[in-house]
Amino acid sequence: MLTDAHVDISPSDPDILAHGADIVSALRAIVPDGVVSDAAGLAAFDGDALTAYRQKPLVTVLPRDAEQVAAILSYASEHGVPVVPRGAGTSLSGGALPRADGILLALTRMNRIREIDLENRCVVAEPGVTNLAITRAVERHGFYYAPDPSSQIACTIGGNVAENSGGLHCLKYGLTTNNLLGVEFILMTGERLRLGGKAPGAGGLDLLGVVCGSEGLLGVTVEATVRILPKPPATRTLLAAFSSVPDAGQCVADIIAAGIVPAAMEFMDRRCIEAVEAHSAPGYPACEGVLIIDADGIAVEVDDAIARIGDIARRNGAEVREAKDEAERGKLWAGRKAAFPAMGRLAPDMLCMDGTIPRHQLPAVLARMAEMSKEYRLGFCNVFHAGDGNLHPLIIFDVMNPGELDRAEAFGADILKLCVEVGGVLTGEHGVGVEKRDLMPTMFTEADLAQQQRLKCAFDGGGLLNPGKVFPTLSACVEGGHMHVKDGRVPFPNLPRF
Amino acid sequence: MPTHIASSESEIVEAVMTAREWKSPLEIMGAGTKQTFGRAVVTMGSVLDVSGLRGILSYEPNELILTAAPGTPVVEIEMALAEKGQRLGFDPPDWGPLLGADAGLGTIGGAISTDANGPARVRCGAVRDQLLGFRGVNGFGEAFKAGGKVVKNVTGFDIPKLVCGSMGTLCVLTEVTLRVFPKPPLSTVLSVRDLAPEDGFALLRKVWSSPLDATGLAYSHGRVLIRLEGEKEPLAEKCSMLGALLGGRSADEVPEGEIAFRAIGSGEVFADTPYDVWRAFVPPASAAAVAAEIDAPLWLGDWAGGLLWLGTLPGSDGVRAAVNRAGGHATLLRASEEIRERLAVFEPQSAVRMALIKNVKAAFDPLGLFNPGRMWPEL
Repeated sequence: MLTDAHVDISPSDPDILAHGADIVSALRAIVPDGVVSDAAGLAAFDGDALTAYRQKPLVTVLPRDAEQVAAILSYASEHGVPVVPRGAGTSLSGGALPRADGILLALTRMNRIREIDLENRCVVAEPGVTNLAITRAVERHGFYYAPDPSSQIACTIGGNVAENSGGLHCLKYGLTTNNLLGVEFILMTGERLRLGGKAPGAGGLDLLGVVCGSEGLLGVTVEATVRILPKPPATRTLLAAFSSVPDAGQCVADIIAAGIVPAAMEFMDRRCIEAVEAHSAPGYPACEGVLIIDADGIAVEVDDAIARIGDIARRNGAEVREAKDEAERGKLWAGRKAAFPAMGRLAPDMLCMDGTIPRHQLPAVLARMAEMSKEYRLGFCNVFHAGDGNLHPLIIFDVMNPGELDRAEAFGADILKLCVEVGGVLTGEHGVGVEKRDLMPTMFTEADLAQQQRLKCAFDGGGLLNPGKVFPTLSACVEGGHMHVKDGRVPFPNLPRF
Repeated sequence: MPTHIASSESEIVEAVMTAREWKSPLEIMGAGTKQTFGRAVVTMGSVLDVSGLRGILSYEPNELILTAAPGTPVVEIEMALAEKGQRLGFDPPDWGPLLGADAGLGTIGGAISTDANGPARVRCGAVRDQLLGFRGVNGFGEAFKAGGKVVKNVTGFDIPKLVCGSMGTLCVLTEVTLRVFPKPPLSTVLSVRDLAPEDGFALLRKVWSSPLDATGLAYSHGRVLIRLEGEKEPLAEKCSMLGALLGGRSADEVPEGEIAFRAIGSGEVFADTPYDVWRAFVPPASAAAVAAEIDAPLWLGDWAGGLLWLGTLPGSDGVRAAVNRAGGHATLLRASEEIRERLAVFEPQSAVRMALIKNVKAAFDPLGLFNPGRMWPEL
């Protein structure tokens, strides 16, 4: 966690632990063929892609349908047991990190596409359907699902909804929230409701808007209806190689200022280029930084955009080349999408940051990060969604070297504080999770956080859904100035956090 | 009714603290052009006039981001953006004349609070997709912020989306930050005539499912209207690609095409009629069937069928039932106070949803100070 001192990320309630066997058998009664409670089985569920943190859940349950999800939540609610929802476990912020005293609700077996409705341009999918499977299901009809997180082969649509996932192409096509039409959603009480649907708009308060990106704190998505887009007839890809990083930053600013909205605009620095070359040899030139830029649309429009982007890049000192065919395009993008695993081969451990900054601050922020790297004596490399100012510095460290994890986390925290200082935010697409929980006060005041926490309470008064994520401090739900009191006692006296 | 005039965040905090003390509700008002939209507010308290919070606070064309005080007229923002070749993506319509007010006065805060999206929504998204962040004062009398001032942000709950369309029932806005878009230099509106609704909407969906990126897809009186945009050559290419989708029919250029789409967004054709005016949101493919079933004396379709504007005889029932059967929802945008009360302006909610909505309301405004009853009687 990005904080000055380690805190207990998973405190556990001895009362709940003492009743572990009862909880397991209650879940077995609900999902006879989908409960994992042995130590070896649980090891497969001991965390997500924020690998520095591991914690086995009390029990994992894998429901097959919404009725089972509702029954599980309603049981947990009645017995005061925390629940951590999980998709494919690809969260980079620890959003799906289990709790020792909690049920891990894994939704991967709910993986059917329920409906492909081309006339209304949408797909209705269960939460465990992978992001890529939605595109696969509609591509033969000339459509695709736009948000494309790099983990799209594995990550699930339910997880995407929870995290409001982005991807390489959200500069032009938006994040999950901009492509999500509706959900069926189950509250912690087990109550089911539909939000949104195939018709535009909310029809009242936009609860769908606040559910998307709520990191599993408000309820559990058991079905999602997403917008599909017609596949653009033409896509061209430019690779611009720069001899200085600030030049690349200026190039990005100039492209946006020219009124061009590229489908994607990605930056990688020297260290990252070298790592990716060693990993999959996509053919990036040796230089200080590259921008990979996609323009898509109808052919004439793309030609026009590519010509203008090429000119702007050259004016900023870049050597520009274009992917000559679909195979080369695929290679250039595969390289970018593999940046994280490629770096992973070079470094025993990594922290991936995710701040967003106003685009004009790019050069200054890049320079400051390089200084910090020296101060902390830790290497890092820069990959980012340049078009929308969403930075992904990867900090390289070795957890086996005493003190390095702490230094890496302090370095990461400083980067994010810098992002906030220059007018940006802590996380552009990975979520707060446990990772950035304790940094929330650098961006939000007490009043800002109190407002968010009250919203949490409106959905989950007992604070049982994904407790310990997003919010830094204890805040019990109050109603009309009184604590919620159930069965004559304050709920979860041992729970120091949400 | 007494009126508090507040022209700064601290004055709003003060007004809310006073309202808390006396448990006296506030009817929040900007320019007042949409005051007849929604249920009549329970008026035992006072009006909080926030039209003085006015002006563009920062505008960075290179960042595609604009921050304004909520009382800023939409036209003022549109003019500032147009100077830099940019625009608001959600295409805010001017509902002033339709609702009995003057044209050109509506504020950005009002457009956000009423979820007022125009024809370009079909391509560019709704105001909820573009409100990146805001500052406001909640019913605790606390000034707070939510969201951010960058285009990509998932830090904390997305309260900006919740505020869009909340009719001032959650908080008083004091500052709003919007994502803006480059405006393509040229636009053309083409029309295809003599199409029955079924055929007209089928054509609109065909264009909507094509890569032409049409920013207007409307149907009115047997005529389909399609707005295409772009640089010169791409636009010409789009027009010729459209020809291929028409199945042998011909398309004519509409000389005053921008005006035609502005009129559709503002519901202009309904302004001087006695009709109740509904906005019915339906799955686009069911637009023709829903329109046929309701058989309103005056109606038109927008957003490739996703939105039906329906002018119905005053007090006539049945719109919402037909829309609900098709999987949609309806808002009664204009009617007399008595009819609004009887037919409900906003979609009635299930018990589970209403319980949740009341919890959400209480999270912002536990004493029910802001616009009580404006959306639903129980809120």
